[in-house]
Amino acid sequence: MIMFIDMMNAIREFMDTGGQVLTVIAVVIFVMWLLIFERLMFVFYGYRKVKKHLQQTWFSRSEQHSWYAEQIRTALVARGSAKLNQNLPLIQTLVVLCPLLGLMGTVTGMIEVFDVMAISGSGNARSMASGVSRATIPTMAGMVASLSGVFASTWLQRTAKRETELLEDSMPVAH
Amino acid sequence: MKKIINTVSGLLLTVTTSLSYAQQAANLDELLNQLEQGKIAQSEQNRLREAEFKAKLSQQDQLLTSAENTRDQQIALSNRLEQDFQNNEIKLANQSDALNKRMGELKELFGVLQQVAGDTKSKFQTSVISAQIPGRDVFMEELAKSMGSSSKLASIEEIERLWFELQREMTQSGKVAKFTTEIVLANGERKQSEVTRVGGFNLLSQGKYLEYINETGSIAELIRQPSARYLATAEQVTLAPAAITPFALDPTGGSILGLLVQAPDTQERVEQGGPVGYVILAIGLVGLLIALERFITLFIVGAKVSRQLKEKTACDNNPLGRVMLVKTQNPDIDTETLELKLSESILREVPKLSSRLTLIKIISVVAPLIGLLGTVTGMINTFQAITLFGTGDPKLMAGGISQALVTTVLGLVVAIPMVFLFTLLHTRSRNIINILQQQSAGIIAERAEAEKGA
Repeated sequence: MIMFIDMMNAIREFMDTGGQVLTVIAVVIFVMWLLIFERLMFVFYGYRKVKKHLQQTWFSRSEQHSWYAEQIRTALVARGSAKLNQNLPLIQTLVVLCPLLGLMGTVTGMIEVFDVMAISGSGNARSMASGVSRATIPTMAGMVASLSGVFASTWLQRTAKRETELLEDSMPVAH
Repeated sequence: MKKIINTVSGLLLTVTTSLSYAQQAANLDELLNQLEQGKIAQSEQNRLREAEFKAKLSQQDQLLTSAENTRDQQIALSNRLEQDFQNNEIKLANQSDALNKRMGELKELFGVLQQVAGDTKSKFQTSVISAQIPGRDVFMEELAKSMGSSSKLASIEEIERLWFELQREMTQSGKVAKFTTEIVLANGERKQSEVTRVGGFNLLSQGKYLEYINETGSIAELIRQPSARYLATAEQVTLAPAAITPFALDPTGGSILGLLVQAPDTQERVEQGGPVGYVILAIGLVGLLIALERFITLFIVGAKVSRQLKEKTACDNNPLGRVMLVKTQNPDIDTETLELKLSESILREVPKLSSRLTLIKIISVVAPLIGLLGTVTGMINTFQAITLFGTGDPKLMAGGISQALVTTVLGLVVAIPMVFLFTLLHTRSRNIINILQQQSAGIIAERAEAEKGA
């Protein structure tokens, strides 16, 4: 329990030194990883059921070579692909947003540094330190967040593409 | 009043006499005559005065001798007094010598007393405890002054009072005390209110931080309060001072809190951005409105499309329904013509769904660019300030730099939500277009087969 409180305090202190932008970045990271985990769960568990259902619909058809059949197959594949690609653009956007937010943190931190200069009228490095930490910590956090998301989102996109192709291949058209 | 009347009448009299003279002297000969007569009268007068003076000669001699006597007496007195003064000087020097000898170590003690009293005075002036116990620095100042003059000695009472005040400051700085006094609210109103003092650090009232202004001896509410998290702890302390509560205190005794007033708030920050900042905000507002309109439209269209997916009959109030109507309106055409007609009707629907989305995308790209523009103009201002005033004062450069940075921030503040909104809207419209492009034919085929089967 005490360890937990210590940890909470450490996190809180870190958030304080990073400023408000760090909170926003934290929220973005949280949402991003929530979406990524949801996608991972779908790819590993939920998708199997969907795939089976689509294949069953296709194989239960009596004829598989007319124009109608081909359109239905395209529609089935599109449905599967839509399921696989759901939320992926959002994850991608959040990945892109993280460094932007970091940049925003940098600029707001620099504003704070110059505020200190304007108020104290001196170049006292110690009084500027809080602004500098607010400038650098969000940048770092934004970079880390975006790096962590880049791998996951790339992998998810490749998987979605491959699975769509596999789905297409697994539903042969009889000629 | 009477006096004035007298003066005026006197004046009038003089005027009339001079007038009469002028009348009398109308003739030059007459004037000469008069002058001659006047001369005779004057010499007569002079002769009379001379005689009189001669008669009084002996009396004048007497007066002179008495005056000389008096002068001699005064000189003698002055000499005597001067002698006395010199004697006294010597006596005084001897006495003060004796005093110094007798004071000896005590003199050092008075020096220390003076120093301590001076230090304590300045400490009391800044201490928040003075808000509760006013007037302590007056005594300290007087004591320091009288110790400095060296003609006065400190009485035991005064020394004990100094001790008492020092001890009281120490004791009070370890206490959380409540007292009622007049405070100046942020809007300038004066009000009797209960004030909680936390040691020698902070003054609180109704969950707000106060500052003690020594010059006027008044207690004022800070115009800008620290963030809500700290105010909550302040409120807890005012509610339950006896219990142990976490509290955010200002260890400098109010000077850090005082600096809060100088830090600009959000509105002032935006104003620092200047015209460029307002342009960015206006663009952002336009983007937001467009996004809102798109959200509502796409939500309605999406709901109608998903309802259409479940219904059997095609309805022409939604894109999917309109595409599906192509089949119902042309029941007997061959598949290739049907495909052509389908893609034609889809092409008609797509622009309606993706319209204005590019505008949001453009805003998300343009906003940081305008921010960059603001940065550059701000830097130009800074360098202008440097050319005019040199680099000596960083305060002069701060204005341009804050404009530069604030516009960058505003650019990012507008761009980030725009990127996000664009993605959301784009996904939504893509989903609908996807249904139209890839699934409409399939849906039509499924329906046709179902009808055939049934």
